[in-house]
Amino acid sequence: MINIDLLVVGAGPAGLSAAIKAGNAGASVLVLERSHQLGGQLVKQTHMFFGSEKQYATHRGFEISDILLAELDKMENVTIQPHATVLAAYDDGIWTAEIEGQYQKIKPSAVVVATGASEKSLLFPGNDLPGIYGAGAVQTLMNQYGVKPANRVVMLGAGNIGLIVSYQLMQAGVEVIAVVEGSPTIGGYLVHASKLRRMGVPIFTSHTIKNAKGANTNGLESVTLWKLDENWQGISGSEFTYHVDALCIAVGLSPLSELLWQIGCKMTFSAPMGGYIPYRDKYMRTSQKGIYIAGDVGGVEEASSAMVSGQLAGISAAEYLGFEMPNMAAMKQDCLNQLASLRQGPKGAHIRAGIRQAEVSFE
Amino acid sequence: MLEKTGVPTETQIDSAFPNETRLNEGPVAVIECFQPIPCNPCAMACPRQAILPFADINDVPVMDNDKCNGCGLCVMKCPGLAIIVVDINWSETKALIKLPYEFRPLPQKGQILHALDREGHPIANAEVINVIVPANKTPVISIAVDKDLIKKVRNICIPEDNDSIVCRCSDITVADIQSFIAQGYTSVDELKRITRLGMGACQGRTCIPLVMRELSTALKKPISELTSGTHRPIVKSMKLGDVAAYGGKS
Repeated sequence: MINIDLLVVGAGPAGLSAAIKAGNAGASVLVLERSHQLGGQLVKQTHMFFGSEKQYATHRGFEISDILLAELDKMENVTIQPHATVLAAYDDGIWTAEIEGQYQKIKPSAVVVATGASEKSLLFPGNDLPGIYGAGAVQTLMNQYGVKPANRVVMLGAGNIGLIVSYQLMQAGVEVIAVVEGSPTIGGYLVHASKLRRMGVPIFTSHTIKNAKGANTNGLESVTLWKLDENWQGISGSEFTYHVDALCIAVGLSPLSELLWQIGCKMTFSAPMGGYIPYRDKYMRTSQKGIYIAGDVGGVEEASSAMVSGQLAGISAAEYLGFEMPNMAAMKQDCLNQLASLRQGPKGAHIRAGIRQAEVSFE
Repeated sequence: MLEKTGVPTETQIDSAFPNETRLNEGPVAVIECFQPIPCNPCAMACPRQAILPFADINDVPVMDNDKCNGCGLCVMKCPGLAIIVVDINWSETKALIKLPYEFRPLPQKGQILHALDREGHPIANAEVINVIVPANKTPVISIAVDKDLIKKVRNICIPEDNDSIVCRCSDITVADIQSFIAQGYTSVDELKRITRLGMGACQGRTCIPLVMRELSTALKKPISELTSGTHRPIVKSMKLGDVAAYGGKS
């Protein structure tokens, strides 16, 4: 049995930021990360980040991961364990994990769940052919493992992930034939869309995939797209076909909330936030005392917000554990201000709606 | 419209450019950032506060064009690659555009590239004047383009080496020809002297028409306005000995 002040589940931008703050406050912290590599999705983000200096704007994602890990490296009271999947959370406060192949029990006094999100799929005939990937999976193959995933790709989805991964595919020498978006307008940042357009990549809004064809031995060979009417129904006669060896699906993420369900956190469904998200107070506490959330598990946003919500959860958990830092209240307020500012533009409207739905007070 | 296509409208592009007076006064940044998103590095990057300080991180950048000297620091720091610098009076005939570019290989100084519009169509050739590679930020490529293209050119593409053969006798590719034309060899005779094309077995029958088409494209002149060069004797190659033997003993 491992006894620890704070267990942080996940070493992405949110979990690492939470560990830094709680570690600074003096808590003994154990961070468990499923992957062999620390940093979560940051390690494969080769583009410069948006946001402001406080969220490391203009640094590339993998550089931010290095910055956070370097800071944690200096803290003797923080242990980060890769190859460690948290398996379950039980009513008696025991958490279990598989750490480098060994089953382990952990008794934390508080937990920050920063498990992130997973990619959504899409229904269409042929969607199980080899060569059909999540866009995030393709990004992992390319930017983390250095594998060129395909030669000719169609991207489904013009949100930020679809647009950014399309651009990175082109940087890796892959031909991006088209970006296809079901909505009538582009969902991601328009500067990302403009970058692709001036590389000659078409973006078809109000279009989707009709079917994918290929042989199981050869994998994907072609995709047929069609135009959607205002009721999102395919218009027959509008079909056109591209020969491709990969199709990337970038139709959103959904929060990885299994552990929160297990521990009995009250949950609510929010379509704009990607699925079921936990009720939380504004300092990131869930309906369960001592259980905090950070990052996309609380609702899918950008990595910049994930880092700030992680800091906030780390400070809150440390405070709950009885640790003190000078200016704790001011630090929490600074996080709240940063989150409000990141979310307050027109592109943050759906996030504000999700937060309004899930934010409560537990007194 | 931008939200559907990803391509800014002409009105949006016009609104991003300073007026003609300011354009004529020297290099100036042009910011194509039309959507409020939480992002402020451009304003933080400008040492002259030419990009006005943001009240809110979601503000779209606003320029004080008179404060801008076209240094390009914002170009390399904009995460959205939304900024270029335009110097319309860079030379008598050409404007200079500084563009952000995130692809490898980087172009080389002096290289001739395709200049692309906002939909990725090649619309002109452009010479690379300078390449700046800042540590961990976006490389900035300066290119020279015709002045009337400043609102059209927004990207570059390194032409694939076109190794189609123009001159089979001397193994000269179309890429070689294009490169020499760009260096100022702009007539058939000049190209002949620098490359030896037309001096082989075919005596120009294969290569000269092809070269004239390349010249016509590059110089934007109809072939009828070009000349095919000086036609010197003889029309086919023969042994010098056979000529020398004329009227002689054998």
